[in-house]
Amino acid sequence: MTQTPLTPGQEALLRAAMNRIVPADDFASAWEAGAGTYVSRQLAGDASAQIDNVAAGLDALEAEAQASHGLGFIALDGAQQDALLTRLERRQLDTIWSVDPADVFALLVTLTMEGFYADPGNGGNREAVSWRMIGFTGQP
Amino acid sequence: MTTYDVIIVGAGAGGGVAAGVLAEAGLSVLVLERGGHLPPGSDRRDHVRNQRYSRHGHNAGPDIRDNPRVIVERDGKERVVNPHEPGYHNNAAAVGGGTPVYGAQAWRFLPDDFRMASAYGTPAGSSLADWPIDYAELAPHYDRAEWEMGVAGDGQLSAAHWPRERGFPLPALPVTRGGEALRAGAAALGWDVVPIPALINTLPYNNREACTQCQYCVGFTCPVDAKNGTQNTLLPRALATGRCELVTRAMVTRVEVDGRGRVNGVTYVDEAGTVVRVKARAVVLAAGAIETARLLLSSATERHPTGLGNRHDQVGRHLQGHYYPAAIGLMPGPIYDGIGPGISTATMQFNHGNADLIGGGMLADEFIDLPIVFWSRNLPPDLPRWGAANKRFMRENYTRIMRVTGPVQEIPSPEARVTLDPAVRDSCGLPVARLSGTTHPETVRTAAFMFERAREWLRAAGAERVWGQPPGLMLSAGQHQAGTCRMGDDPATSVVDRWGRVHGHKNLYVMDGSVHVTNGGFNPVLTILALAYRAAEHLARVGV
Repeated sequence: MTQTPLTPGQEALLRAAMNRIVPADDFASAWEAGAGTYVSRQLAGDASAQIDNVAAGLDALEAEAQASHGLGFIALDGAQQDALLTRLERRQLDTIWSVDPADVFALLVTLTMEGFYADPGNGGNREAVSWRMIGFTGQP
Repeated sequence: MTTYDVIIVGAGAGGGVAAGVLAEAGLSVLVLERGGHLPPGSDRRDHVRNQRYSRHGHNAGPDIRDNPRVIVERDGKERVVNPHEPGYHNNAAAVGGGTPVYGAQAWRFLPDDFRMASAYGTPAGSSLADWPIDYAELAPHYDRAEWEMGVAGDGQLSAAHWPRERGFPLPALPVTRGGEALRAGAAALGWDVVPIPALINTLPYNNREACTQCQYCVGFTCPVDAKNGTQNTLLPRALATGRCELVTRAMVTRVEVDGRGRVNGVTYVDEAGTVVRVKARAVVLAAGAIETARLLLSSATERHPTGLGNRHDQVGRHLQGHYYPAAIGLMPGPIYDGIGPGISTATMQFNHGNADLIGGGMLADEFIDLPIVFWSRNLPPDLPRWGAANKRFMRENYTRIMRVTGPVQEIPSPEARVTLDPAVRDSCGLPVARLSGTTHPETVRTAAFMFERAREWLRAAGAERVWGQPPGLMLSAGQHQAGTCRMGDDPATSVVDRWGRVHGHKNLYVMDGSVHVTNGGFNPVLTILALAYRAAEHLARVGV
């Protein structure tokens, strides 16, 4: 069974959402740390059954941003993006979603954290940046 | 066709010991293992497919495709689950079973663990019973397991709890910074502590290297092969005799019996999907408490319509594992020192003698948590799961957090059980295991008590804040699965006799956690190993 990969527009939304799940500070954001590579790999592999839900969730996220702010999700500032993602978690939405927003977001959070904190050999956590950040001394 | 003296189903803890003992006693042995080989160090970089974090699969098997089970929830709803999904109660499927990837804690059960019914009485609705053997009868076999496989521990401190003939062959694991804090806390509380015994080479042993104290012990194979399982001890010894064959990727589908009830071999499906019939004078089942029960049930014949050894409807019942109530504490400063495996310190203050409770359990410090494992289970409940605050908390507190937990002795229920699912089949066409029921409510009460003791210990060790939640009523089995073919003298209330022999089938043995009447308040592997030594020595003595 082959799933349609994410469109460039969906991937840009994924990147923006992941960079709120693990935002940049003096250490890398999720996307900067290569978590996007990990998430793409999972959605094409073990989590492939979820890719259609993720795609539908990202489209709905964009529609929700337009309905609430008259702007696309990527055009919102960080605080607005966080507020919108929090509404997903709480299922407090202005638009009709074809997928459960809290479930899709929970999946994105988990995959992003895996991409950020797992072994570089899993595809993310470039140069073990998160391990240096937290003080885990395992050798990658 | 060759007729082997003994066929062993499953190359894990029990099966590996049986292979070594029987082959060295001069018997011809065929070991059939459904998993494959796990070379040391081949898997440690997979942080999302291991026993501590299995969201995307298992490094030690089984394959997450074509191996489903059915779990019946408390509300009666049924779910089909795959090996990496909650409710499956997975055990590894590999040469060595779980022993190549386990945490390797090597506890003996206590004398009272063998006589729980006598010590406490059997509560209504429970199948709590005494073992037919006592600690003294198993002690020499514990000793043999400790010395032949290699256990690190403190013999002197250990002897205060267990009568033992001698110490351990290897010195105890190093005490971590967290362990020091817990030892100080225990001293303040007046609690006794004991160094955690482990099947780990703290010095070179059995011609293999010493532990390098890496951060990837539990859940992974050892990169320097210093963790002792059957894959690097008894199985190689069995193969070295020239009398033992090991076939991997071989799924046993049936135990074969003749018209008089005598077992004469097994049928398995090999890697290519070919059905193979092999003959033997005796068969040893060591597939783990769930799969061993499933195999006995699915080997029904006209003469044994409810399965082998199941005339009294005992096979598959009393399924148990361990509750693990865990408390997490935030220490005033860093306590992470990166010294693997990370476990060093336990208290047995509460295994027995707790007013108004049936038994209890051991509490201990934890293995080093992989960062993703830490994120998934150690964060305080009021912390956002994502965002800047989550990242900051991870950054500031990974090195300051300690987890205390331990296995609670379960009070078994006959309703916690393995049956055959009437609808779902695996890739060999066999009915899959169907898991239903829960532990007895007394287990929940003990777990709540142990959770409070874990909190108390962390506070005494200096924690500024402690969180966690005691577990509710559920089915528990998992890696510590046990009890489904319990040992006993009365065939009406047990499946195997005191030697692990299935009642009514004198040449069919069970040598895994299935035979445990109760599962102790400890990691059960050393008991599985010791019982397998004892049963295999018996089989070699009486002959086939």
